[in-house]
Amino acid sequence: VKVLATYSIKGGVGKTTAAVNLAHEAAAQGSRVLLWDLDPQGGATFLVRARPRMKGGAERLVGSTGELARHRRGTEEPGLDVVPADFSLRHLDLHLVDAKRPTRRIRRLLRDLGDVYDVVVIDCPPGITLASEAVFEAVDALVVPTIPSTLARRTLAQLRTFLLEVPDPPLVLSFASMADRRRSLHRAVIEELTSAEPGFLPTIVPNASVIERMGVERAPVRAFAPRSAAAAAYRDLWSEIDRRLRTVAG
Amino acid sequence: MGATSETLLLGPADEAASEAVLGVLTTHGIVFDLPVETVTTLLDTVDGRLHRAGLRLVAEAAVAPRQHGRDGQHGQDGADRPHGVTLVLDGPSVVPARVQADRLPGLVGEVPTGPLRDRVERLVDVRALLPVVRYRSQRREGTAVAPEGGPSCRVVVHEQVTTGENAELGTTVEIHPVRGLERVAREVARLVAVEGRALHPGDTLDLVVAASGVEPAGRVWSPTVPLDPRSPALDGVRDVLANLADTIEGNWDDTVAHTDPEFLHDLRVAVRRTRAVVGQMRRVLPPALVEEGRAGFAHLGRLTGPARDLDVYLIEWSRYVDPLGPEAVAALAPVEVLLRARQAAAHADLDRALSDPAARSLLAHWQADLAGLAAADATVDAGPHAHRRLGRVVRQRIERAQRTLVTNGRRIDDHSPAEQVHDLRKDAKQLRYLLECFGSLLPDRPRDRFVKRLKAFQDNLGEHQDAEVHVAVIREIAEELHAAGAVADTLLALGQLMERLEQIRVAARREFAERFAAYDTPATERALADALESLRS
Repeated sequence: VKVLATYSIKGGVGKTTAAVNLAHEAAAQGSRVLLWDLDPQGGATFLVRARPRMKGGAERLVGSTGELARHRRGTEEPGLDVVPADFSLRHLDLHLVDAKRPTRRIRRLLRDLGDVYDVVVIDCPPGITLASEAVFEAVDALVVPTIPSTLARRTLAQLRTFLLEVPDPPLVLSFASMADRRRSLHRAVIEELTSAEPGFLPTIVPNASVIERMGVERAPVRAFAPRSAAAAAYRDLWSEIDRRLRTVAG
Repeated sequence: MGATSETLLLGPADEAASEAVLGVLTTHGIVFDLPVETVTTLLDTVDGRLHRAGLRLVAEAAVAPRQHGRDGQHGQDGADRPHGVTLVLDGPSVVPARVQADRLPGLVGEVPTGPLRDRVERLVDVRALLPVVRYRSQRREGTAVAPEGGPSCRVVVHEQVTTGENAELGTTVEIHPVRGLERVAREVARLVAVEGRALHPGDTLDLVVAASGVEPAGRVWSPTVPLDPRSPALDGVRDVLANLADTIEGNWDDTVAHTDPEFLHDLRVAVRRTRAVVGQMRRVLPPALVEEGRAGFAHLGRLTGPARDLDVYLIEWSRYVDPLGPEAVAALAPVEVLLRARQAAAHADLDRALSDPAARSLLAHWQADLAGLAAADATVDAGPHAHRRLGRVVRQRIERAQRTLVTNGRRIDDHSPAEQVHDLRKDAKQLRYLLECFGSLLPDRPRDRFVKRLKAFQDNLGEHQDAEVHVAVIREIAEELHAAGAVADTLLALGQLMERLEQIRVAARREFAERFAAYDTPATERALADALESLRS
């Protein structure tokens, strides 16, 4: 199983839309996919039309008897299941503190589902927290949407610095998100990131209204605008991530 | 489909009930798509490899309306026009995976690349994906919607379900639970169980499989049959040879059609086993039958050799050439093309030979002659050991084959010619075939323990032999390409390939002494004695 997380220290960069679209792309290409919404805002849960409820809440999930399998829900896409989020996840860090070896807890929860899925996509909340540290220890790759701006570039650098302290850190695969090629600053930052960032993927996800429409349609872009540039971008992005992960695994 | 899916079957005469069920479902808010004419096919290998792994590969193809001519009949070709195929890999308790394909795959290489193909490939290898059953229906998909907008239960209705033999099954209503919301599916099941009708576990495909009588586990050609060690040897040997003849016959047509390389392999192995059993049991069988079997199956063996050798070469091609690097692989492309052309020519020759009525009649005669054999029949001119107990004869032959193998193996040293190693490989095969063909006489675990030791030794002999044969083929091709003015890069890469094959051969030869020493031990003798213990009484 390949485990990846859409992650960024910064909020509002397109993590959730990336997680939902990538999960659907993977399923459409023959993978059995689990989308795990770890963000208490429950954006991914909303987009796949699942009920934002975890029986027993985050406390039971990360407790000693917690099992991820019990929280799975089917979605409209038969090969895609979701572990929905609810508001109890806002206390995830507090519950993790109580757990034995907190930073290994997420890896342990995923271990039991290793043979059931080909791909797990975790949608993370922003910020560096104990939960994100647990995610770093559990995943093969962090997929980091990066708005082509100076601030976003700075947070990417902060993440890299932080990961130096993580034992066996995951691959960092960043990509330009919400990009507007008409803006010279965006073009310049993308160019800079492409040459300076080792894991910077060539796919550019545009700042497109069709992506915003996901909230209205409650579906991935490929479902309601399959010929759009955004749908093509997510398709390319998944192919690129899949190829990188295969290269690392192979 | 998942073990929890259930299906209601309403026969062709139950039209009123079908309408009532659809009415109830619609009233309860299940919205159905428009019906789509669909052909659903269950794919598996001839030996049911996916089924044995608890999986199903299902191809769903929406079919365009047939072209109608002026006379209201089907269009010129009358054929269906599929709109792409959805391949679904599922199974009990397995999360389904699906992918779109252009057409129904015949080989795993025709499945789009990705995890679904990887999983199928690991199981089926080079075997063809064959249709196990197929049905046509008017498919309508409906969904019960949860308050959040997601699905809470899927219902698929297949109307006018017709199987390949044009047998109409009627209408089916499949209820597929959505993970985490299984209670909704239970409620829907209660709704559709009109007039107390029972729901069947599984889906329409499961019902079609059951109705067709097809065994989804496929057909595995075992080399052995149930045998009685106390029966006359002639009767047991006859049963073994008849089973092998059935194997040859069962793989014949697909070998001619070149459905996948394993049919030829299975046919060829059955021919070799037949030759080995005829040779080993020559004192049991009537002398005329021994002569018939020796001549006939040697001929069949010769016919099948060139095509199989080239099949093996091309199956192993990547393993041979990939380590040489991408440049050499590219330079060797003309060689692969030539090998494939030779393979096609060899298969064309084989097809002609096997399609010849003379080849068919050879097998038919053999089968008829075997059917007429019985130890109790005094008119049969049987061999001197025909009336001995089968168990005793088999034990003696296996012990003898083992002695021959060990004696000849001890004669081989570092300077022995390759032919001697090749002959030893044949000795090992004779022993292996006896163990396999009369395997039902031996207890499983001790037999398997001994076969494991023998197999480890045989692998080394096989590697040596394959590399030697393939070096000879490459040398021949190199000369041909050189004469045809091949580019220098190709000739240089051929040199590299020959060197690599030679390295494999030399390494196998070097390893021989070690492998034989590991085989020629008291532990091997003990393992064999354990396997044969029950035949001593």
